[in-house]
Amino acid sequence: MILWILLALLTAIVAAALLYPLYRRPEALAPDNAGEIEVYRDQMKELDRDRAGGLISAEEAEYARAEIGRRLLAAAGKENVDAADAAKASGLRRMAIGIVTVAPPAIGLCLYIMLGSPGLPDQPLEARLANPGNDMSLLVAKAERHLAQNPNDGSGWDILAPIYFRTARLGDAELAYRNAIRLIGPSAARLSGLGETLVVANDGIVTEDARSAFEEAVKLEPGDVRARFYVGVAQEQAGKADEAKATFEEIAKASPPDAPWMGLINEHIAKNGGSAAASAGSAPFLKSLSEDDMGAVEGMSQDDRQEMIRGMVDSLASRLEAEPDNIEGWLRLVRSYMVLGDREKAQAALTTARGHFSADGNEGRQLAALAVETGLPAEGAGKAEAPDAAPQGTAPQGVAPEGVTQ
Amino acid sequence: MIVEIGHFALVLSLATAIIVSVLPVVGAYRRDASMMAVGTTGSLVMFGLVMLSFASLTWAYVVSDFSVKNVWENSHSLMPLIYKYSGVWGNHEGSMMLWLLILVFFSALVAVFGRNIPDTLKANVLAVQAWISLAFLLFILLTSNPFTRLDPAPAEGQDLNPILQDFGLAIHPPLLYLGYVGFSVCFSFAVAALMEGRIDAAWARWVRPWTLAAWTFLTAGIAMGSYWAYYELGWGGWWFWDPVENASFMPWLAGTALLHSALVMEKREALKIWTVLLAIMTFSLSLLGTFLVRSGVLTSVHAFATDPSRGIFILCILAIFIGGAFMLFAWRAPTLKAGGLFAPISREGSLVLNNLILTVSTATVLTGTLYPLVLETLTGEKISVGAPFFNMTFGLLMLPLLIAVPLGPMLAWKRADLLGAFQRLWVFAGLALLAGLVLWYMQNGGPILVIFGLALGCWGMLGAVADLWYRGNFGKLPVMTSLRRLKGLPRSAWGTALAHFGLGVTVIGIVAASAFSTEHVVEMKQGQTAQSGGYSLTFDGFREAVGPNFTEERGHFTVSTGGVVVADVWSSKRMYTARRMPTTEAGILTFGLSQLYVSLGDPMDGGGIVVRIWWKPLILCIWGGCLIMMIGGFVSLSDRRLRVGAPRRKAKAVKAVMEPAE
Repeated sequence: MILWILLALLTAIVAAALLYPLYRRPEALAPDNAGEIEVYRDQMKELDRDRAGGLISAEEAEYARAEIGRRLLAAAGKENVDAADAAKASGLRRMAIGIVTVAPPAIGLCLYIMLGSPGLPDQPLEARLANPGNDMSLLVAKAERHLAQNPNDGSGWDILAPIYFRTARLGDAELAYRNAIRLIGPSAARLSGLGETLVVANDGIVTEDARSAFEEAVKLEPGDVRARFYVGVAQEQAGKADEAKATFEEIAKASPPDAPWMGLINEHIAKNGGSAAASAGSAPFLKSLSEDDMGAVEGMSQDDRQEMIRGMVDSLASRLEAEPDNIEGWLRLVRSYMVLGDREKAQAALTTARGHFSADGNEGRQLAALAVETGLPAEGAGKAEAPDAAPQGTAPQGVAPEGVTQ
Repeated sequence: MIVEIGHFALVLSLATAIIVSVLPVVGAYRRDASMMAVGTTGSLVMFGLVMLSFASLTWAYVVSDFSVKNVWENSHSLMPLIYKYSGVWGNHEGSMMLWLLILVFFSALVAVFGRNIPDTLKANVLAVQAWISLAFLLFILLTSNPFTRLDPAPAEGQDLNPILQDFGLAIHPPLLYLGYVGFSVCFSFAVAALMEGRIDAAWARWVRPWTLAAWTFLTAGIAMGSYWAYYELGWGGWWFWDPVENASFMPWLAGTALLHSALVMEKREALKIWTVLLAIMTFSLSLLGTFLVRSGVLTSVHAFATDPSRGIFILCILAIFIGGAFMLFAWRAPTLKAGGLFAPISREGSLVLNNLILTVSTATVLTGTLYPLVLETLTGEKISVGAPFFNMTFGLLMLPLLIAVPLGPMLAWKRADLLGAFQRLWVFAGLALLAGLVLWYMQNGGPILVIFGLALGCWGMLGAVADLWYRGNFGKLPVMTSLRRLKGLPRSAWGTALAHFGLGVTVIGIVAASAFSTEHVVEMKQGQTAQSGGYSLTFDGFREAVGPNFTEERGHFTVSTGGVVVADVWSSKRMYTARRMPTTEAGILTFGLSQLYVSLGDPMDGGGIVVRIWWKPLILCIWGGCLIMMIGGFVSLSDRRLRVGAPRRKAKAVKAVMEPAE
């Protein structure tokens, strides 16, 4: 509303300024030739000065004087058209007044409504950063500012890397992973994160770089399902069907039978067992929160961490309201609340999630398993159908499904 | 809200432009003082509105309001504050805003300082200015609106092109546009005068300060741009005959011609038609330059902001204004009376020669710039017209001009004695040749043409000195008297001498830097030493550094001569984090008027790095000369005669006297 008042005010000022000369009693017009005459008179004076200073010869001065004199005469002899009579022109002036009154508001308003965004307030970055709410990108920006000044803060890079990955900023993700590995040393999560970034950036091909990252990750933590899975994919893409099959079978052996990634593992076993066709190897990714982020957040200062986690969790929760069918999202939300120590919200989220999915379906089973894992009381059906869900709690942290199930 | 007010102010200035386009013209036709006065008030209102709009856009940049798309695309919150300001015009939309701001600024100047101009002429000039403003306002609002918003707003911007993150961006475009757009006033004067059908010596005087101001700013802008390209791009070159450079150079050439022909018109009322044509052509070339740079028909080192879809719009503006002006010219020019006569050998004659050469060289540059475009459009074949073509044609054309420059001011108006002028100058010609030879021996080598070139530069400088010498009548009068005479000279005479002197200095810089430069490309490891220009550079190794929005590897070099350390220099390679774009920051050491230029190349396998070292003798003369030319322009601009006219009070008195007579 204030905006409109100010715009109206601005329009009024402009219209008033433009109307002023039309309402004012018209100044008498100087004769047409007054300006010219003045210029030529000055030329005469200049001539005198030049002559007095000896800059030109007497003869030259005489010629010039004669010439300027002719110009002066011609200018003075010009007929002056008299200024229009104020009364005669009143019709025209009324029209001019009409135009000047109507045009600014009419044209201004029409064009502005067509082009402008009156509803949008100013959004200076400092103000937004001071109060980021649950805007994930602002939190990331905050972290980036911190890193720009402290590029050797490895844990900072470590936090940002998976977030970049999920928001499809692959180049940034790769750099962040590499920086984190360089500064705080390799870990299975970082290495397989880097590997996955490289795979996605290369349209699903497990490159040499990526493969060595995964292999190193497996060396560091043999239980890292994600890394092992990609090692298998690499073997598959290299045409080593037997090795790939063995790798996938090992994963299957080590995983609980109802682990969410089992479907995919079985698919790959079948592929390599039957015929060794090249895998599509697609590795899409989830734009949401994972335990990786949570773990990484530990490296931050207490305030930053709380803020960041809350921001991310809130944004996830609000997104899930809009798209409640996202099972991965629900799983993460519940886990996140548990990390934050907010059992009640975790319970509420779990209950809501269970309301959306049938207990018999794959999603229902996953939720039941989660309930066991987190120790939340599972209300309603489903608990009985997940008797051996308990081991899932000890399942490797590198949650393969995020790269695999979708 | 501030952003939206800025947007609205821009829209409102469009409405104002429509009013100012129409009412003053009607007023001038009907001789209605009130309606003509709307032009004055309206021009000021427009300037205020565009200023408000520009300020609000700047504010959005400074506070990093990424809900403004233009800010998001071209800024970053971590960028140093000065680049947030200069980044406003470091992109297409913003630079058009700057264009517009300067255009309405000139309109406002005419409105305020144009009191000595006849009312009808002033009203028409302001209306023509408003037509141009209207066209560019439409262009900005419809195709390049900087106030487009984003919702939700991104958290971080995409950063300004790192090459533009330099102090040069803060100075170069405003200066260049002050020149470019300043010629719009000359154009408006020409069109307004054609509309009224009367052009005389007084007209030339009224236009002269505007031409002079525009020319001075354009000189400074081009020189600044050249120096910026020299130190920022890391190639060691200072002029590339790049189409974008040519686009600013052509108005300069035409503007220089205009400056000189207006002189003839003012003094002798000759060359009227030609001067009006030049005024139209100069601004047409400015518009053409804007079209070339802004439409994206070129891809060159300078054209950072391009969008082909906008080309059509500017092409329409181009067609309407240039076409319209030439039609008006064709219709009105035959009715103009021819002015004073003059002999071929005279001040006028020399200025005609100047005009002839300058326009032909403008045409040459225009051909070299447009030919590749036309060829590509017609045949799809891509060629580039480079330095060899321009050096051959343009260079040759400049030779007679440079020889004639010192002679011109020595000649008398109407008819003159060339032999006399030569007689007065032969001592200086001899001195110039001698100085050229001395310079050549000092640099030890170079073909005959170089001596000639250097002598030509010295000739220009000494010619200017000689001009003052003879005006002061030194040698014949006591020194004190001569000095007093010099003091009494009109400022414009001083301006002329200074500008011609500066031209000579620039010529020397160009010739010396082209002929005596040495380039060494060497692979260097830590501790190694390279030689250039009599200096030894020792590479001391790298240090990493972090800037506000970049990280850099800085190489350190110690410079010594004859075993004595004289200086040290950093040369670095930067990586701008947001765009992940590398730039090189050359290390430049100045020794007198010469420079040592160190630029880092790619790292090699063995731990070494490619280093390019240039020795550029007398290169600072190039820009120093331009600076002197610019000072000459300002000195001439301060001439009191340019402010002469008919002040209001006097005008009324004249009227009072004349009324009884009617």
